[in-house]
Amino acid sequence: MDYKGDIYYIEQIIAGNSNAFSHIVDRHKNKAYNLAFRICGNHEEAEELAQDSFLKAYRSIKSFKMKSSFATWLYRIVYNTTISHVRIKKKGVLSLEDFPADSTDFIGGSTSEEDAEKEYRNALVNFALQKINEEERGLISLYYFEEMSTEEISDVTGISKSNIKVKLFRARQKMLEIIEKVEKNKFIYHE
Amino acid sequence: MNKQEEFKDDLLRQYITSERIEKAPEGFTSKVMARVQVDTLPLMVAEKSRKKNLVPYISSVVTILLVASAVLIPGSQSDSLANPVFSLIKNIKFSVPEINLSSVFRLTLPSVLMYVFIGMLILSLFDRALYGIFHREK
Repeated sequence: MDYKGDIYYIEQIIAGNSNAFSHIVDRHKNKAYNLAFRICGNHEEAEELAQDSFLKAYRSIKSFKMKSSFATWLYRIVYNTTISHVRIKKKGVLSLEDFPADSTDFIGGSTSEEDAEKEYRNALVNFALQKINEEERGLISLYYFEEMSTEEISDVTGISKSNIKVKLFRARQKMLEIIEKVEKNKFIYHE
Repeated sequence: MNKQEEFKDDLLRQYITSERIEKAPEGFTSKVMARVQVDTLPLMVAEKSRKKNLVPYISSVVTILLVASAVLIPGSQSDSLANPVFSLIKNIKFSVPEINLSSVFRLTLPSVLMYVFIGMLILSLFDRALYGIFHREK
């Protein structure tokens, strides 16, 4: 397959071929959507926010400096768009009772026990993410899901490397505490 | 500290795997592209109309210049600043074949028609040039 890098398509867009942008969207849509979803915690909003971010990227594509990574530049737009959206639209705090009891709640149709366990863990992570603040959600997402280094996260968020390490440590502790509490509740529920 | 060391003893890793990323819904790319098309359309129209809006201004400027030169160029050529230009225009000699259709229609065309035709030709060339500037497609 003929593989062309982001820069090739960006040059095409700048030259006036707007359709070249579809290649860029195709390539980055899942990661952009995932980041938006992990921060805002809602599929409909995540889709809207990811679309908004791509549109913003398209509008300001001329300001992109070809020397840096396009993905980092795009994630910065997604991160900032989603964070400001969530800050405006603060949601109510979830209680531990809002979380389904265990993996059996995720078994349905052709779902195997193993898949249900994976779904349960994913839902648990999403639940814990919604209990920490939006900035921490962004950092956790970039670090764990996008597998970025602290240096790359610093490029995306504009937060210093040392500060990211501190914030990540705190966010991680908070999430583990929440997960532990949910797991404990699960046992109480089953006793 | 490298990434592997940072992940060491990371309990959260048991719950989060990078393979478990949420995928964008079906038709995401086409939705974005539809928004891109809608977004770029007003910009293109605005750019076109901005160029088109210049036409009356340019026409006005040309008309004002023509009127001003008509007013400034006096009947007697002696004291005008535009004398050299005026005399140059005056000295242009047109060599147009004489049209004599009297044998056919038994009519004699007035000599002023020759100047009218030349004027029309110049104006149409000017119009063509303006059209080329303001309706140029990318």
